[in-house]
Amino acid sequence: MKLSKYPYLVQKEILDDMKNADLFWLSFVSKNMKTLIKSSQVKRFQSISRIMYHSSFGDKRIVSIPFKTKNRKGTEDILELEGIMGIFGDCKASEDDCFQLNVSGKIIDFRLSNQYTFPEACFHPNDKESAIESIHNYFLNFFGNTMEYIWRAKHPEDIIPHLSNLSLWISIWPNLSQVIDLKNLEKFFASTPVLKNITMKLDKSEPFSPESKFYQAETISIFHQRSKSVHALLRHFQGRQATLFYCEVDMLELIEFLNRWRSGEALQKLEYLKIILRRDGPWHWQPHEILNANWVKHIESTKKPPIHSVANLYTPGPDYKPNTNPITSHTYVVRKTDNRVASISVQEGDFVFGVWKETEKEFLRMVE
Amino acid sequence: MSSTEQGTSSAAPAEPTTAPESAAAPEVPESFYYVHGKDKVVHKVSAGALQHSALIHGMISNLGYTEEQAKANPFPFENIDGDILQMVVDWCNQHKGKPTPPEDTNLPKQKEKLFDLVLAVNYLEIKELLTYCCKQVAMMVKGKSPEEIREIWMIPTDAEDEAAEKEAKKRAGKEAAGETAAAAGDAK
Repeated sequence: MKLSKYPYLVQKEILDDMKNADLFWLSFVSKNMKTLIKSSQVKRFQSISRIMYHSSFGDKRIVSIPFKTKNRKGTEDILELEGIMGIFGDCKASEDDCFQLNVSGKIIDFRLSNQYTFPEACFHPNDKESAIESIHNYFLNFFGNTMEYIWRAKHPEDIIPHLSNLSLWISIWPNLSQVIDLKNLEKFFASTPVLKNITMKLDKSEPFSPESKFYQAETISIFHQRSKSVHALLRHFQGRQATLFYCEVDMLELIEFLNRWRSGEALQKLEYLKIILRRDGPWHWQPHEILNANWVKHIESTKKPPIHSVANLYTPGPDYKPNTNPITSHTYVVRKTDNRVASISVQEGDFVFGVWKETEKEFLRMVE
Repeated sequence: MSSTEQGTSSAAPAEPTTAPESAAAPEVPESFYYVHGKDKVVHKVSAGALQHSALIHGMISNLGYTEEQAKANPFPFENIDGDILQMVVDWCNQHKGKPTPPEDTNLPKQKEKLFDLVLAVNYLEIKELLTYCCKQVAMMVKGKSPEEIREIWMIPTDAEDEAAEKEAKKRAGKEAAGETAAAAGDAK
């Protein structure tokens, strides 16, 4: 069966029926084949929104493409991952299951996996950085750069490659007995390229220093923060979106945060903040009391406020839950420096803050 | 239609009293056409089954052949092997007037047969069958290494592609030189 004997449209239809992973491995067969795939699959590749370098076990990684699909019953959207290749580093490939490929000019060993449906790259630890760079360059050349490439790290010891078009997600989830070494973590953050997201469980730790790169992450999701850490985060965060789960927070801290935002001195990039308060804390205040401040403005209760929602920067897949949860609130505050509005919602102990692109005048025009 | 119109129509034949309320329309006799492949074995196929093939459907739609004329003029498909044409005819008969299922598991498993079937189906423009065939061809390389894929689909290496390209250029150059020489000869 000689594929090249088929007319172009038949070849294209066959390629259309193939999975991304199979197209990826097919592209290594020849330069002409790679060119055919790239030219016939432009639309498909442009529709890929993210390629992830997932942390698997230890230093091992799986490169995959998240995609939205339906659950078995067909009733709900779910997110699945299409695995493309494994990057398993320090492993030995036997002659039987091993093959070599020229990946962006570097010869890399691959082996067929018993565990996964895709091959794994094997290389000497000393070659790790250059092998990962070659692999990443091949991905960029093959799939293009219209999608986000995300490197996901789980431990401060993880290798973080400094490569073009590569963002970083950090998820640190220590077990109950583990105490996080803040200094080590600070060093780790400082060594990283652009921090796209940090997701952390911070039960027992003290706050990061005000200069920490931690606060520069574009999005942050924090679990179980102690009051001091929440205070520091609200004070020093320079990113765009933050969600704080089950946190201890004081009313004064929230008021200080709102005042700082209103002044325009800080938090200029902030788009969305959600704080889910700990339900078991000895609270002497009710979160909705914050709405009684005289600088919090109110839309008449008979009118319908506009609904706030922005692109969710930390969605597991951009097609899957692409936006932040909508905020429908009659209360808002206005920033002094540019008159931009932020809706505030306090419901069932959750404090949600969403910044509009509109000024107060434009915002009020959207009220029905 | 009102009952008066029906009752007073003098041209209408008297309806039998036992006729069912909604009598089925009289069946139009199905027309048949004939095709043969490389082996000259002629297959009789109904026009309904041949509708799957855009190529044949376009050919027969305005012919208005009688049964005899159709029999005397089978469509020759000399580029299609007899057994492949038989497969195509069987498929068209099986799926005559039926919605096509999302998958077809009756396609040939041998890669050479499947390869020929794809070429025939593409030539005859049978869209649904082409879709099934292409899916089957794509499945052949699922989870395979690049070298395994190269073997299955007989994909040339870069060196082979380069050599073929050089050869094609050489041939084109020779042909161009030949044409120039011929043109010069004509001018003399």
